[in-house]
Amino acid sequence: MPHLDPTEKQIVFKIVYFGPGMSGKTTNLLFIHKALTDKYKGEMLVLDTEKERTLFFDFFPVSLGTVQGYSLKFHLYTIPGQIFYEASRRIILEGADGVVFVADSSPDRLNDNTEMFRLMVENLRDIGIDPSRFPLVLQYNKRDCNPRLEIGEIERELDLYEIPVTESVATEGRGVMKTLQVVSKEIIKRFQIS
Amino acid sequence: MQLPKREDTQDINDLLSKLVERSKAITALLISREGVCISKAGNIETLNSTALAALVAGMFAATREVANIVGEEQFSILLQQGEKRHIHISLIGQRNMMIVVFEDYRRIGLIRHEARSISHDLVRILEQRKLSRKEDSGDISVPEFREYALNLIDRIFVVGEEEDASSGSD
Repeated sequence: MPHLDPTEKQIVFKIVYFGPGMSGKTTNLLFIHKALTDKYKGEMLVLDTEKERTLFFDFFPVSLGTVQGYSLKFHLYTIPGQIFYEASRRIILEGADGVVFVADSSPDRLNDNTEMFRLMVENLRDIGIDPSRFPLVLQYNKRDCNPRLEIGEIERELDLYEIPVTESVATEGRGVMKTLQVVSKEIIKRFQIS
Repeated sequence: MQLPKREDTQDINDLLSKLVERSKAITALLISREGVCISKAGNIETLNSTALAALVAGMFAATREVANIVGEEQFSILLQQGEKRHIHISLIGQRNMMIVVFEDYRRIGLIRHEARSISHDLVRILEQRKLSRKEDSGDISVPEFREYALNLIDRIFVVGEEEDASSGSD
């Protein structure tokens, strides 16, 4: 559920980039931050270790403008991908309105992808979200690797049906804005006031 | 009783401003557990309140996990002591937090007292807001909102022609 504040006239949606370690979550955010003009974006926070691995989260706010008198914002977050940061991931998922699962297209990372996807489903259920009724996009990142996973392999492993899928090379920015578009539209289409 | 919108914003701002004035703090912010800044008072020009709200919400959530590990449900107050500036964070009800940034550490007792003294009123106003949220947001037409928002997304999250990644780099 978004942060809808009739008093302050703002609606804030939270998008979380989830996925195994080093799959390109931070790279997605860095590209989006670079691509957007200044008037739409706030400062980007990157909380990482000296090995460029996300320690807690990355974050930046996007302000799209005013809709019906309300300031419309998206807050973009990443999670730390390493398996042992379970508590951090759960914390960051709380209050999420949509998730991009950033998968690594290298065939040898298929298990990492599926394991992390199952953890995400578990985390979502823990915080009362039904993943089957939730804006979720599967991004096959690193499409420039060779060999690479075929589109559909991860879904088959996980018995996923009808999940929106995008392809990307986040280091070059390809497919990144498309993914953001898909997830944000999924969120808006489901928007209701409760 | 349901407070009118303008009045209740004023109430929250008034309460935060009063705290800043009485305790000589630099800034006071009210944020949600999800990391969204709801209201702020004092010297708000020099601080990035959006980033501060996101970080403090994450920090507070992490502290809740720490509390669970040591057998507490949660810690209701967090204090960060710096060289020149310090931060007092307190839980406001179950879903919000108040951040007070201050300089003179000798005033910590006063900060704590003032924060505690307005927390009850903040909880009351926030509860009322929650109850009247649906009614107060009656000025939003959901179908139109969706249409305009989708338009903005198309316009701002621009997908270039070179974006297609399905063919890799070959």
